[in-house]
Amino acid sequence: MQKHEFVFDGEIIDTSAEKVGEAYRVQVGDKSFDIRPVAPGLFATFVDGRKVIVASARDHDTTYVGIEAAVLELSDPSSDGFGGGAGDQAGEKDKIYAPMPGKIVKLMVAVGDTVAEKQHVVIVEAMKMENPVLAKANGTVKAINFAEGDQVDTDHPIVELELDE
Amino acid sequence: MFKKILVANRSEIAVRVMNACRVLGIPSVAVYSDADENAKHRHYADEAVHIGPPPPRESYLDIDKIIAAAKETGCDAIHPGYGFLAENPLLPRRCAAEGIAFIGPSPEAMNLMGNKVESRIKMTEAGIPLVPGMKSSSKDPAVFRKAADKAGYPVMIKAAAGGGGKGMRIVHKADELDAALEAAQREALNAFNDDTVYLEKYIASPRHIEFQVIADSHGNAVHLFERECSIQRRHQKIIEETPSVALTPELRARMGADAVKVAQAADYVNAGTVEFLFDPDGNYYFLEMNTRIQVEHPITEMVTGIDLVVEQIRVAAGLPLSFTQEQLNQRGHAIECRLYAEDGDNNFMPSTGKILHYSEPSGPGIRVDSGVMQGGQITIDYDPIMAKLIVHAPDRATCINKTIDAIHDYKILGVKTSRDFMVDVLRHPDFVHGNTFTDFIEKHMGDRDSNPAKYRDLAAAVATAAAMSAPGAVSSASSGNGVVDGATPWQTIGPWQIGDSISAKA
Repeated sequence: MQKHEFVFDGEIIDTSAEKVGEAYRVQVGDKSFDIRPVAPGLFATFVDGRKVIVASARDHDTTYVGIEAAVLELSDPSSDGFGGGAGDQAGEKDKIYAPMPGKIVKLMVAVGDTVAEKQHVVIVEAMKMENPVLAKANGTVKAINFAEGDQVDTDHPIVELELDE
Repeated sequence: MFKKILVANRSEIAVRVMNACRVLGIPSVAVYSDADENAKHRHYADEAVHIGPPPPRESYLDIDKIIAAAKETGCDAIHPGYGFLAENPLLPRRCAAEGIAFIGPSPEAMNLMGNKVESRIKMTEAGIPLVPGMKSSSKDPAVFRKAADKAGYPVMIKAAAGGGGKGMRIVHKADELDAALEAAQREALNAFNDDTVYLEKYIASPRHIEFQVIADSHGNAVHLFERECSIQRRHQKIIEETPSVALTPELRARMGADAVKVAQAADYVNAGTVEFLFDPDGNYYFLEMNTRIQVEHPITEMVTGIDLVVEQIRVAAGLPLSFTQEQLNQRGHAIECRLYAEDGDNNFMPSTGKILHYSEPSGPGIRVDSGVMQGGQITIDYDPIMAKLIVHAPDRATCINKTIDAIHDYKILGVKTSRDFMVDVLRHPDFVHGNTFTDFIEKHMGDRDSNPAKYRDLAAAVATAAAMSAPGAVSSASSGNGVVDGATPWQTIGPWQIGDSISAKA
């Protein structure tokens, strides 16, 4: 019996598993799953009683799992638990990052403005498209660290908020 | 016929064109930038020429480099694909000067259709129905006010050189008109260096229905029926289908005949697409003509059985069309889903990175036109389209279900796609009932909740099995998931034997 731990959406999931024939019988909480490797990165299992092929791949400390049309990212507990991506991934709702490197074409807020969750705060141009970047929570703009026309990466927050209580 | 064709494009459409070259037995030449050194299109072609750094202006948009690559490899024709140089009249002009055939329309036809005001005038003369509005542009706000009153509010102000929503304004009331006009002119000037705008009636909740046409240099022109592309976000199509549920055979014949008339009025030779707005009352209006092979051309190929790119190359070589209008018919139903590298759960934000796992669906009536491979990188340099999934079935209901199954079987890990978003669209009762209008996504998908968490426990189980079955996994590991980077082929290749197949042995 092997024990594994993964982090999904900030929560730790414990699994225990053993090999049964060609398949792995994995216990997650009170549920049991039979997962059978069928090809590199592909596994057969059952969803709602129907057989499905699911995919899995690793990158650094993250395991990606594709089930039907969904893709879930699980990280190893030894890492920061959030897939090692940009600061944006780390659940900091008070800092707004560009989703990818690009150019700021429009800043839609000023310091002191109140913003609502999902409000567009800045537009970043990348991949030939203008991409609105949204606030992740209600708050007040505390700082704006870039100007229109600036190039931004994914490691430095564009806008910082003072979150509402 | 041509001896060798250079494909001045990248990704899935470059591969698609090279595929048509193979069908015709013509060698193809790829061009690639530094960012595409290991791209699928580079390796799919018979030869490949490096044309510069990643920014399009210094590679895929650089006509001098494209022409030099064609000459260096002895190509006698260039296919532009879609996007990049496909609708730039400078490329066909330069090709003519260099004695290279351009697989596309004449620069004159391109110019005419590229200018919305000029093409409106021409199409009015040809008797094609247009959205009621101004026949020509003006600098005088009074002319706009008069035209708006005549057409009736709401009205839309559009840039003559327009596209992509730039310089576009919807005006609901007369007292908003002057301000909107100024804003549209300013935006058009910034975006296109041309502040010419015009006004037409705004059609609320239309369908987008377009007709595929193709014309040869012998005076033959036909249409290959419609495609409905009403499922759009930010003016970008994401799901297309044919036939459209909205058309009766009578309407289809009328619109098709008008589409052919549009091509003839423009002296058009090549494959092209005539776009119409279709209002809820069954009226249709000419929107524009796209003078290139279109992203969604495969659904037409599925229902007609015609290889449009092969036909496009034949026509460019001076051959007559290989079929007549009477020989064409629509068989069954086809749906295309565009797979962009984007996050369907986060406002379609583009997604970049390495494709860690890639496996395509297959089966009768399932086609994938893709420009990516496992291990490939999606960078920020280009349009995020990775692949198109095209599904053909005897009827629409079957086609929808088959498409959902194919999306489930299409595995892409490492880069985000909007596959789950597409499934939600395809399952939506309004889509199933054919209530497909251009505001569909805005109206029905705004409060969508993706909820992948329902797969949480299964995903953890799969991750566990993946860790345990990974080559070199530590059998007694209690955590750490035993990853081995760079496992050798000797660990992963499985049983094999030179000169024999494994099945024969079994």
